[in-house]
Parts: sequence; structure tokens; C-alpha cells
Amino acid sequence: MNEMIFEAKGLSRSFTVGGSPIREFANHFLRDRQPTVLRAVDNVSLTLREGETLGVVGESGCGKSTLARMIAGILPASSGERCFRGEAYDSFLARKRDALKIQMVFQDPLSSLNPRLRVGEIVGEAAVLHRLVPRSKAKDYVVDILARVGLPADSINRYPHQFSGGQRQRVGIARALAVKPHMLICDEAVAALDVSVQAQIINLLMDIKRDSGLAMIFISHDLGVIRHLCDRVAVMYLGRIVELAETKQLFASPTHPYTRMLLDGMPKISLQRRRFMPIQGEIPSPLHPPLGCHFHPRCQIATEHCSRVRPELRQIAPGHVHACLNIECRSALGEM
Amino acid sequence: MSRAGLKDFIGRFAESRSAVVSLAVSITFVACAIFAPLLAPTDPYDLTQLQLSDALKPTGSKRMLPGEEIRANMWVEGGSASVEPVSPAKTRLAFLTEPCAPNCLSVIVRPEDVRLASLQIRNLPAGVTVEGAKKHPIQPWWTVDTPQGSKVRLISSAPLPASFTFLAIAKSMEQETDFIFRLGTDGFGRDMLSAILYGIRISVFVGLVAAGVAMVFGTGLGLLSAWRGGVTDAIIMRAVDFMLGLPALLVGLAILAVLGNGVSKVVLAIVIVQWSYYARTARSFALSELGKEYVEAAQCLRLSPTRIMLRHVLPNCMPQIIVLFTLNIAAAISLESSLSFLGVGLPLTRPSLGMLIASGYEFIFSHKYWISIYPGVVLLVMIVAMNLLGDRLRDLNNPRLDR
Amino acid sequence: MTEPFFQVDGLNTWFFTRQGMVKSVRDISFDLTRGEVLGIVGESGSGKSVTGMSIMGQIDEPGRIVSGSITLNGEELTTLDFEEMRRYRGRRIAMIFQNPLMTLNPLMRVRDQMYEAIGAHEDGSRRKMHDRCIEALKAVGIPSPEERFNAYPHEMSGGMRQRVVIAIALLLGPDLIIADEPTTALDVTIQAQIIYQIRRQIDERGLGMIWITHDLSTLSELADRIMVMYAGAMMEIGTTQEIIGSARHPYTRKLLDSVPSRNTPGEKLKQIPGNMPSLLALGKGCPFASRCERATEICGEPVPATQLSGTHRIWCYHPFED
Repeated sequence: MNEMIFEAKGLSRSFTVGGSPIREFANHFLRDRQPTVLRAVDNVSLTLREGETLGVVGESGCGKSTLARMIAGILPASSGERCFRGEAYDSFLARKRDALKIQMVFQDPLSSLNPRLRVGEIVGEAAVLHRLVPRSKAKDYVVDILARVGLPADSINRYPHQFSGGQRQRVGIARALAVKPHMLICDEAVAALDVSVQAQIINLLMDIKRDSGLAMIFISHDLGVIRHLCDRVAVMYLGRIVELAETKQLFASPTHPYTRMLLDGMPKISLQRRRFMPIQGEIPSPLHPPLGCHFHPRCQIATEHCSRVRPELRQIAPGHVHACLNIECRSALGEM
Repeated sequence: MSRAGLKDFIGRFAESRSAVVSLAVSITFVACAIFAPLLAPTDPYDLTQLQLSDALKPTGSKRMLPGEEIRANMWVEGGSASVEPVSPAKTRLAFLTEPCAPNCLSVIVRPEDVRLASLQIRNLPAGVTVEGAKKHPIQPWWTVDTPQGSKVRLISSAPLPASFTFLAIAKSMEQETDFIFRLGTDGFGRDMLSAILYGIRISVFVGLVAAGVAMVFGTGLGLLSAWRGGVTDAIIMRAVDFMLGLPALLVGLAILAVLGNGVSKVVLAIVIVQWSYYARTARSFALSELGKEYVEAAQCLRLSPTRIMLRHVLPNCMPQIIVLFTLNIAAAISLESSLSFLGVGLPLTRPSLGMLIASGYEFIFSHKYWISIYPGVVLLVMIVAMNLLGDRLRDLNNPRLDR
Repeated sequence: MTEPFFQVDGLNTWFFTRQGMVKSVRDISFDLTRGEVLGIVGESGSGKSVTGMSIMGQIDEPGRIVSGSITLNGEELTTLDFEEMRRYRGRRIAMIFQNPLMTLNPLMRVRDQMYEAIGAHEDGSRRKMHDRCIEALKAVGIPSPEERFNAYPHEMSGGMRQRVVIAIALLLGPDLIIADEPTTALDVTIQAQIIYQIRRQIDERGLGMIWITHDLSTLSELADRIMVMYAGAMMEIGTTQEIIGSARHPYTRKLLDSVPSRNTPGEKLKQIPGNMPSLLALGKGCPFASRCERATEICGEPVPATQLSGTHRIWCYHPFED
């Protein structure tokens, strides 16, 4: 089994909504008026092995983007531990050249590129500044990287707005690759692209992974993309992981009711019409999540117990964990 | 910005005719400011050139040369006279003598077209008189009021002595020159056109420098505020709120009342008034840029905060800051003019537009309108042009107004 | 099959920009019968949204409908003036956008926005209007409609807002609803709910719907017929069965093949090489030719429509055999 490249234990991040120094001062006197705390990521633990691709899937507001930024080290954690190859993040991030080993690809191909810089500088800036490449060789280096992501050499003198969406995303990937990362986090990297371009970018990411053996964390709301790219999948709901399993296992036999609902709702290209009523209910506001199991108001098998007790992740098969109080093992699913 | 982008920007800018006109006007004013010493017919700072006789002349009147008085001792020997260097030496008038008959000598004032107020001949030897002149009742002085052809003849009934001396005093009349005061003169006899050109120079200089310094200082604080957040942000932004709450003119007055007047002090006063606008704008745009993914990407590339702010965030805030800069130049000019008008701005020897307006103020009710009105119109046109320019740039920067 | 009540014939919408003429929509023709959902699918820049805006008469400068006719119940829409078109909008044709906040006024309660929509077109008592609104909200599956009725848009989730927009669209009983990517911004579970509700309303009320999207999978579940657009031109139109089950156009096939769920996980996706050509520099031939592996010289010539069946039409010289 491969070495662990990244590990998170009990990672949490909360934001104070409507909090300000004056408000906090006032709160000393108005004790009951605490500012609302948004727990974007709540006690998440996960691991990533060398060369593995982990998918994180969930709907809007589930905290997957916050999780991505904590893993990338650009957002501090409120609590919990993060380790890169066994080293805690505090000391790891302090060594800037080592910290480059974790890179990120972003969702919006336009806003993730500085519109005032030429592609050559966007891609080459960090490599030169961190002395990965001498300045004199920077141009050839950038041209090489651009060729790897399928962009012509003359791109280096052009600005982001002169590219199409797919090409911009290639620039974003080139920027990450230029600092020789060992781990790549893709935050909805293909969500803003058209279907045919999306296929091009997914293929590019697969090529890169095959060639360089990068470990990847792929964050998406699109189960189709996740299923195609990832070795393992974590399903998040309102800041918590509700199920984590090998991709095949998760898609073949999902156990958590939420995962099952997601898979049912996933639009498929098929000629069979769904004529049944889909599961009702809105995603609750992350500001005021339901007590106990966050999913219980929408869950068909919820009991009164679910509204009181917070379910912990439990192993139900080798490499398959979920957080549901009512389903003990996979065989129980048949009864539903 | 790429060439195509620049071309497109110019095309969009040119869609508004008023913007093109105001750009042209603004460029003209800046050119006036730069080339004022070449364009101005006189140097209004050279106090020695001023003469009170030119004061308060209306538009189109000519400059007068003042009347002059010269004295010269003349020695006449054998009919030809030599002239002692005239005093004062610099004068443009000179004497000449010319024998006209055995008993006659002409005294001529050169140049000949000079109109003389009087020509006086003193201390002639006995028996010699001056033609057409009145003798002083007691002294041996002969005076001709307005001599014909600036010339008098000394006549004697007997032949003139072989050698004698006398003193000639010529007084010239005030004389019109070809120099025209195109916009009239002020109370000191300064050419208004020159004064306005130099006034533009001072105003534009003060406006540019003050707005520029305020921009650098304010933008820096704004970026710092956006980046640090928390207490730094709170302190800077409260200071901004405080400054924005005070009327600009009042703050300027108070500062100059303490510091006294002078160009650098006016600049300082304007910077203190204006930095807060830049700080607030820079902060709000920097915050919106900081929320974009390219900043997160730069953090991921472990670039230093200084580099991220200056190399990545600042260039993306610059368009908005430049718009504010354009508008604030106009505001700085008008503030400087207001302060000068109130008499606390620039020193009297370096008149800005505001001070010119103020100096004409006392004459405006005696129909000497030009001293205040012309600088006022220039100031108005300049500020309106710069504001229109700034507005257009702001519109172009606003994606919501962009088609 | 009933007679079509809505027809678009030879529609051309061009934009006269500074850079040149952008022929965003070229020779689009289709019709629609009552109770039918026509899906228009295409990538960004395919002209699908401009088609929708042309029908709504909302093409702004520098764009213009250059030629073509749009008829609703036999009445020509392209020649209507602004005031007549305003009456048509909302009453006979309603539009739903991707972002519900384009339609909803953030400063007005849902109640007032619905009253305003009705009041703009007809008179009626407050009581009657209230009942109609509540009914419309119920129809799109809004729980506790009385409560939502008095809420402001910002008090609702994205899915709820989009439902309110749909309810307002349904309010005046239009003949045609044009929906431009209405569920793209929503989560899959919410999307499934809304699609279900919309399909039910279409069937119950017998109105026509044009559903514009880039997502073939939603269309396969919702639409009766699908029209595929590429770079402003029609590529293929047919029933959902014909398009999803047996697409004949190389572009449609490629588009279907590049969807991850139709590929084996872990293997490379079947991608379409290259990029969409610029709309500024289009030849007279098939716009897809440059990316198409079946293209030959003849593809540079204008492509005529081929009628494959009563409902299936295709614009291609080298279609796949069935």
C-alpha cells in the first residue's frame, strides 16, 4: 500500500457571521446576543495516498471549497490537524519552497487568472521567484509547461482574456504544474466549462496524473465527473463527511441515505423517464443546521433518535465508512 | 493592457463627444501649464517690469512707456557741441546739437519721434535766448512746453560765444507701445494673460502634485487596510470617516492658518484633505480583488503578501484609482483656488487663479470686471473639463454601464 | 398530433459590433405544439440564448433580427412594436432566466411582485388575485405558500426563488414559456424537484416550453424534442428518442460521447478536439467541419437540411448511418 501524502484529523473551520470588534465588545454586556457561528467544515478527517485521487462531492454550502482551501494551506483551520507526509502544516508551510508541493486549480477560469499579467508571467512567476528555474531559462521552462497542457508557445505573450474558457483552465493547470507539485487540489475545476471542453480538461488531468503520479483531491458537485476521475469519494453534507468509500463501491452500493438521494437526483442521459416524485425538502441553511444528524429532516428513514444524536463515521465494510445511525451494515439496505 | 484592448478602450471613450472635447481642453491646459514661460508675453513674477500707469487697464489697451527725464551738460566749442554722458545712463533719450547759423544752435532730442512734455535749457551765457521759450522769472532757465519736432533753437543777437556750457533737461511724454494687454491688467499693472497662464501653471502643478501625493499615500493606506483587516483596518477606516466628515475647505483653512502660506504647505493641506478618498476607494476595490481566485492562487504559489498586494491586487485597482485621481485633480485645483481666494493659499508674488480672482474682487463694482472674470472662466472651464473627463473614465470602468 | 401553435422560420439574429458582424443565430426554424417541451442544447456561443431572446423581442443594440418570422397562434411577432411586444411578454410568452434575481426585485415582497405581474395585464379584485397567486405557488411545489407569499427574495434559497419565478411565469397562463438554463445554478436534488414540477405543469396546462441548456442529461429527462445548435446554426433536431438514442449528426454524437457518465470510469473521455470557431469568421459551410473527423471538401458548401423522418432533421453531408 502506498505512503500517505496528506492526512487531516478532525479538521474544522468556523466563520463568525456579523461579528466585528465593536460587536464583540458589545457582546460582553449583551451576553445572550452571541454572533452566529457558521461551521463551514465540521470535524472532517480524511487521508490521501501518493498517486491517489480523492473525490469530494456535495451540494452548495456543504463546505467542500472551504475544505479545499484548508488543505491547500491558504486558509487556517479553526481546529484539527493537517499533515503533509507526516509533517504538521505549521512547520511545513513555513518553508515556502516545500509548501509549493501543494497546488490548487480553481473553478472560475477567468477570475482565477490575473487579468493584467501575461500568461508567461502567470505561469512562470512563482517558479522564478522561488528559484526553481533561473530567470534566464524561465521562458523555455514556461513554454515546456504550456506544451504539456496543450497550449502553443506563443501563448506566453497573451493575456487571459484572449483565451477561451478551456484554454484559460489549461493556463490555470500550467500555473500549478510550473512549481512541480506533488499534490493537486482541483476545486470544481471543470464546473464552469462546456461539455466538450470539460472532457478535454478531464482528459488532460488524467494525462498529468498518469505521467507524474500526482496525488489529487478533486472537488465537484458533479457525480459523473467524480465517478470518472476518482479512486475514492467522500460525500459531504453541511460541513461533515457522511460517507467515504472506494468509487466503485460507493456508486454500486451507497449506504447513507443522502448519498442515495444524490445518486438518484443525478441527471443521467437515458430514455427512461422518471415519473416518480423526487425527494422533497430544501438544503437547510448552514447557519442553522438541524441538530443531531444534519440530514434527518430530509431523510426517509430518520427516527426521533436522529434529531438528537450526532452520528459518527463508522466502518461498515473495509474502506467504507458512513455516518448514519440507522443503517448498521450494507445488508440492512435491502429492508428499506 | 494589450494593443487591441487599448484600441477598444479609445474607441469606447470616443463615443462621448463631450469627453473628447474635455480631454482636448485638459491637454490644452496642461500644455499651457508646461509652456507658460514661452507662451506668456510678460513675466508676471518680475516686479520690476510692473508700472502703476498700466494698472487696471481694460482688455485690448496698449502698454504705455512712462515719461522720462534726462539732463545733460553740454559743451559748445566752435559751433560743435559735446554731450556729457546723460543721466540716467540707461535712458533711451539722447541729445544732439546741430549748428543752424552763425548765431544759432539747434538742440535736438533723439529719437526724433519722441513727444516731449517739455524741454528746458539752463545756464545759458548772457545774450543767448531760446526760441519760443518762456524764461523763468528769476533764474536763467528757458522752458518750452511741447516743442515741435523735439527740437529747440538757441539764438543770440550776436554771434554765439566760441565756447560755453549749458544744461539741457528733456521730459518725454508717456508713450504708447505696440504691446497690447489682450486681457487687460490687474491692480498692479500685471498683464492678465500672462498672469492667467502662470496661474494655470501654479494651479495645475499644485493640483497634480497634491492629488498625486494623496493618491500614493491614500492608496497605500487603503491596501494596507484591506490586507491587514482587523484593528489596522478599523483604525485607518475610522480616520477616513473622520476626514470625510469634515468640510474640505475648513480643514484646509485650519491647516494653513497654522502653517502659514506657501506652495508646499498648500500641497500638504490638500493631501491631508484628499488621502481619505483614495484610502476608501483602494480598500474597497482591493477587498473585492482579494476575494478573487487569482489571489488565492498567488497565496498557493506562496508569494509574499507585499508582492501579492503590489503586483497582483494593485494593478487591478488602478483603473478606479486613476478615475478618482482625475476627479481629484479638479477638486485639488478648486480647493487651492478657494484657499488662495481666501488669502491663506499661495503668496501674493506667485498668483494662482484663485488669487487673481480675489485680487479683482475689490474692483468688480467699479466695472473693472476683467480681473476676476477671466481667471474665473478659465478656472471653471478647467475644472469642468477635468470632471467630465473623470466621469467618462468612470463610466468606462463601470461594467454595468458598458454595452 | 396537434397543429403547432408556435413557429420560428428562417430566424437570423446578427450583432453589428465594432469588431465586425457576429452572426449569432443563422437560419433557425422550428415549431412547437401544445404540451410539448422543446430542448435547445448547445455550448456557450452556440446562439441558443440569443434564439430565446429573439423570440422574446429582447435583442438590444447592436443586435438585430435580420430576417425570419416568429409566429404565435398565427400572429407575427417580429413586426410588433415595443408596446405591443410588452403586452405579449408575460401574458402570452414568459421567460425564466438562470439567475432568478434577474427577474425578482430584491426590494419587493413576493406578494407585490406577483400582484404587479397580474396588474400589468389585467384587472381583478385583490381577493381573486391572492387566490390565484397562492395556487400558482402551490403548483410549483412551494411548501407553505402563504408564508413564502409575504417573504422577500433574499429570505429564500436559490431553489425557492427559481420556483417563485416559475410561479410568476405561470401566473398569467401564457402559451409559451422560454426557460434559459433555469436549473443550471441549482443543486442536483433541487434540480430534479423543479424538473418534475415543470413537467407536470406543462402536461396539465397544455402549454409549450422551450428549455435552453447546455446539459443533455436534463433534457433527456424532460424534453419531448431536442434541437442541437452549434456556432449559431442548427445541427440536428428530432424527438428525444431520436437525438439521445440514435443521433446521426457527428457533433451530436461527439457531444453525447464526451459526457463522463457515458464513458467507462478511469478511461479517457472521448473528447472533441479544438475549439468552437469565432463567430466573426464563419464560412458558408458547416461550422463544425474544422473539428469533425468525417469532414470532406463538400462541408465547405452551405449545408441543406435532410429530413430523416417526420420529426428528425439533420444538417450534415456525412451523417452516421443508423
